[in-house]
This record gives sequence, C-alpha cells and structure tokens, in this order.
Amino acid sequence: MNYKGDIFYIEQVLTGKSNSFSYIVDRHKDKAYNLAFRICGNHEEAEEIAQDSFLKAYRSLKGFKMKSSFATWLYRIVYNTAISNVRIKKKGVLSLEDFPADATDFIGSNTSEEDAEKEYRSSLINFALQKINEEERGLISLYYYEEMSTEEISDVTGISKSNIKVKLFRARQKMLEIIEKVEKKKLIYHE
Amino acid sequence: MNNQEKNKEDLLRQYINPERIEKAPEGFTSKVMTHIQIQTVPLKSAGRLRNKNLVPVISIVFTIILLVTAFLMPGSEADPSALPVVKLIKTIKLSLPEINFTSIFRFNLPALLIYVFIGILILTLFDRTLNVLFHRKEE
Repeated sequence: MNYKGDIFYIEQVLTGKSNSFSYIVDRHKDKAYNLAFRICGNHEEAEEIAQDSFLKAYRSLKGFKMKSSFATWLYRIVYNTAISNVRIKKKGVLSLEDFPADATDFIGSNTSEEDAEKEYRSSLINFALQKINEEERGLISLYYYEEMSTEEISDVTGISKSNIKVKLFRARQKMLEIIEKVEKKKLIYHE
Repeated sequence: MNNQEKNKEDLLRQYINPERIEKAPEGFTSKVMTHIQIQTVPLKSAGRLRNKNLVPVISIVFTIILLVTAFLMPGSEADPSALPVVKLIKTIKLSLPEINFTSIFRFNLPALLIYVFIGILILTLFDRTLNVLFHRKEE
C-alpha cells in the first residue's frame, strides 16, 4: 500500500496543490465527524461542524507548526468549533421520558435481539452524553472514543491534565447516574 | 493501576464501544473540497480589487512627490517669486489658439478656464493610461 503521512500532503497543499487536501480529509473525516457528533448530538450539525473545521484547518494550514501531530491539531479545531456551536444553539434539557424504556424499541424487521441490545446501549450513551455539558461531552468522547490519554486531551483542549482528570471523573459520575436511572425505569417497565 | 484494573473499574466502558464510531456521510470529502475551491476564488478577486485601488493611490502619491519636489528645489534669491516653480510658471509661454467664444455662444469665458480644461484632459489621459496598464497586468 502506498501510504504517505499527513506531512507529505500538507507540504503538497502548501506548494499550491490544494487537491492534496482531499487525502487529509479522507483520512480524518470519520474521527472528526464522530467527535463533532458526540458533542452536538445531531448528525446534520455534526456534518456542518466537521466541514467547517476542515475549512478552518485548510485556511490556517500555514500556521500549523508541526510540533504536535496533525490529528491533534485538527481535533483542537473540531473540539473548539463544536463547543462554540453548541453554546450558540443551546437546546432544551432532555428528560428521562425522552428515552425509550426498552431494547425491543430498537428491534427492526431485520435486527436480532443482540443487535437491538447494542443499538440500545449506543443510544443510551448518546442520551446520557446529551444530559451533560458540552465540555464534558468533548472530554468523554476524546477519552473513550478516540482513546486519547489525558496528556493528549490536554493538547487538544488546552485544559490542564489534573483538571481533565477531575472533569472526566465528574462527567463519568453524571453519565452513570443517568444510565442507572434509565435502567431502573426499564426494570419498572418490565414489572 | 494497569489497564485491566482500570477497565474493570470503569463502568462506562461496558456501554461505550470505541469501534462503534459515527462515520462521516457519503460525499463528505467532495463537499469539503468544493467549499475549498469556492473559497479560493474570491481570494483571487480580492487581490484584483486591491490592484484596482492602487491606481488612485499611485496617482496621488506621484502628484504629491512632484509638488513636494517642485517646492523644495532651492531658489537663488530670498524673494518667494524666485521659487523655481513660480519662475517656471512665469516662463511658460503658451501659444494656444485664441477661441472667440462670443462667436459661438453669447457670452465670454475667462481665459483661466482654458488652462483648467487642458489640466483636466491631461489628468484624464494619465488616469486612463494607469488604468490600462493595471488591467494588462491582471491578465
């Protein structure tokens, strides 16, 4: 496989070959989109944020010092764009009633019970994410989905390592409380 | 604390599957690239606009330089009329054809107006020349 690093394509773009940026977009689009989606919780907005972030990255590519990895630099842009986007479009708080009580609600015509359970868990996590604040959502997403260390998260968010640990602990607690409440509701529903 | 112990303690990992990430929709890359291509075009026209604005700026700067040079050129006498500019104006002998306005219109124009018209004509030609020069540069 002819694999070339981000730096190769960045240098190509900087010499005027703007089409080389498509390789960079292709390589990082899913992770950028996922981070945006976890923070804003909406597919349309996530697409808008991810696109906006790539445009910002393209425009400020000259300013990329190559001290950190391109991915870290891009995540910083996505994270900040998503956080400010969510702050502008503050939505109402979701109530527990907004979440379906049972995994059977996720069973479609061709879905097995196991797949429905996976879908239920995934939706439950998305629901719990929407109940915590946007900054915590970003941290949870970077830690669990992008599997970054607290040091890497610190590079992306600009928050100190010790503060990240505290914030992650609180966010985790909040999410587990929400999950617990939903699971209790599920039990009551079955009784 | 090793990773295994950490995973055991971390209940959230039971729910979060890092492999299950939300993927960017189809055509995402082409959409981004289209936006980039659209955005790079206005940047070029902004450059053209800057060049166009340079025309009057250059004209003004050129005129100011000429005026300042003319006034700063040292004269030989203390008399203000000895200034080279004044001297030059005094020595100008224009042999313009005399136009008898009364033969065309029923009023007479002051002689100074002829100079004003000629001045406007010269400046217009100068402006057009600069304009043509900068248009050629753009192409």
